[in-house]
Parts: sequence; C-alpha cells; structure tokens
Amino acid sequence: MNGDWAAQNLQTIRTLMERAALYRRALAPIMIAVGCIGLAAAILGWKLGVVAPRTFILYWLVVAVIACAVAFFLVRRQAIQAGELVWSPPAKRVVHAAIPALAAGLAISLIVTWVLPHLPTEPTNLAALLGMLWLPLGWIILYGCALHAAGFFLPRGMRIFGWAFISGGCLLLANGLPHFDPAMYAHGIMGLFFGLFHQAYGVYLYLTEQKDVAA
Amino acid sequence: MNPEPFLNLDRVIHEKGRMAIMSLLAATPEMSFTELRDTLSMTDGNITTHIKTLQQAGYVGVTKSVQNNRPLTTCSLTTAGRAAFKDYVELLEQIVQQTKSQI
Repeated sequence: MNGDWAAQNLQTIRTLMERAALYRRALAPIMIAVGCIGLAAAILGWKLGVVAPRTFILYWLVVAVIACAVAFFLVRRQAIQAGELVWSPPAKRVVHAAIPALAAGLAISLIVTWVLPHLPTEPTNLAALLGMLWLPLGWIILYGCALHAAGFFLPRGMRIFGWAFISGGCLLLANGLPHFDPAMYAHGIMGLFFGLFHQAYGVYLYLTEQKDVAA
Repeated sequence: MNPEPFLNLDRVIHEKGRMAIMSLLAATPEMSFTELRDTLSMTDGNITTHIKTLQQAGYVGVTKSVQNNRPLTTCSLTTAGRAAFKDYVELLEQIVQQTKSQI
C-alpha cells in the first residue's frame, strides 16, 4: 500500500488550514482611501498652519481616528455584501496583531503631549524637536511594526510594506534634523508615508488583484 | 505493512470535499457558508450536501442568524468533530511514517 496519498492529504489539510487563517477582504480600496486621507491631511495641515507641536499631535490623532473609521466602514461593507461575518476570526487576528504597536504609538503620543508644555523652548526648542520631528518618525516606525505583525494574517506583501515604513522611519531618524521648516518637514513625511505610500500599495494591490481575477 | 491505520480512517471525513471543509473549520472558530463555498470553489448544492453529512455525523454545527437584515449561516466544528479530525490527521501521519519506514 502506497502512503503518498496520505502525505498529499496532510499537505492539503495544512494548506487549507493556513488559508483559513488569512484575512481575505480586498485591501486595495482600504489602502487607497487611507492614502487619500493621509495626503489630504498633510496638505491641509500645512495650509491651515498646524505648526505648534501639541496641535500637530492632536491634529494627526484625529486624522488617524478618521482613517480607522473609514477603513472599518469599507471592511464592514465588503463583509455584508459577501454575506460574511464582519468581526471574523481572521479579522480578529489582524487587529490583535496590530494593536500592541499602535497602542504604544498612542501612549507615547499622549505622554509627549502632556510633557511638551514643561519643556524648555530655548536654546534647542526641544518641544518642536520631540513633538514634530521625532514623534512622527516614531509613529511611522511603530505603524510599520503593526503592519508587519498583522501581515502574518494578510496576504500579498503586507510584511514588506511594513518593512518600508520601519526602514524609511529609521533612515530619516538617522539622517538627523532637516535644514528647513520643521512643520513643513513633519507634515511632509506624514503625507509621504501615510499618504503616498498607502496609495502606491493600494494601486499595486488593485492591479494585481485584477490580474488574479483574470487568471 | 500494517493496514490498521487505513482501516480506522473515518469514512465521513475521508472524502476530498468533507476533508477540506473540516480542515478550514479546524483552523478557525467559525466560518460563514459563503466563505467556505468561495474558499473551496464549490457549488452551493455540493457544499450543502457535505455539510449536511458532517452535521448528521455530529461533526459540524450550523447556526443561522441575521446580519444587517441579511441571513447569515455560520458553521463550526463540534467537540466530537474536532476530536474526529485530530484522530484522522494522526492516522494519516501514521500511514506516512509506515511508508517512510518501508523505504
């Protein structure tokens, strides 16, 4: 009696179990929507003159809440249209994986917001340095960590996308202080990472998802 | 070769479609009917028949609810189903080991 069929059955079981753990909602519209919000917020923040460190942090926290709400609305709509659970086990896994890094980002933001008024403004303007230069880079790095962790339950290169945030944030941190307006720099990097990066990844997902359907 | 593991394989699970359904449900606490159907690329009729067989064997529980005014059918493994699936996988592993030891 040949046992090859048994090995094949085990392989099939393994593959299906891995597939069941993956989150299968279309991510392209979510990425493109979040990218649009990020880019619009960066331009609006700069145009509105959101230049004080505390205002800058609170402004971007509000933007993050709006982006999360829009992403949840899109996920919910997809699930309802497909006749599937909104809060499905893979969705829970993705959220649980991403939460620690995101919670750390939120906690650091709140601490920095509380600490800022007590910092000296001269001679280095530590408040601007901490609130508008280091904190955004911390957000970018921690967001990358969240994407990478969630990527274990998401298909299609999410972990590489997470690494792009982590490495980009670290490179900018190593690059030191900008030689121009800190507010412009801060809104610029937020728009680049949370706006353009998401849009580029969303377009990539959209094009490759279309190919998969065609295949 | 000892044929005992093969003879002990659960005939309810040892069918391509039902084994696939059991594998998906074993990896997740519950799964909707449409998710199962889409993941396995099965027809509604085919998957309904397999789920009915698994339900009659006491391996799968089916829950019907309403989500946003739309009916939602979710399936999950019962305790007996989880135990039967575990036994099935262990027997497959035994068969693979036996084959390897003969080579």
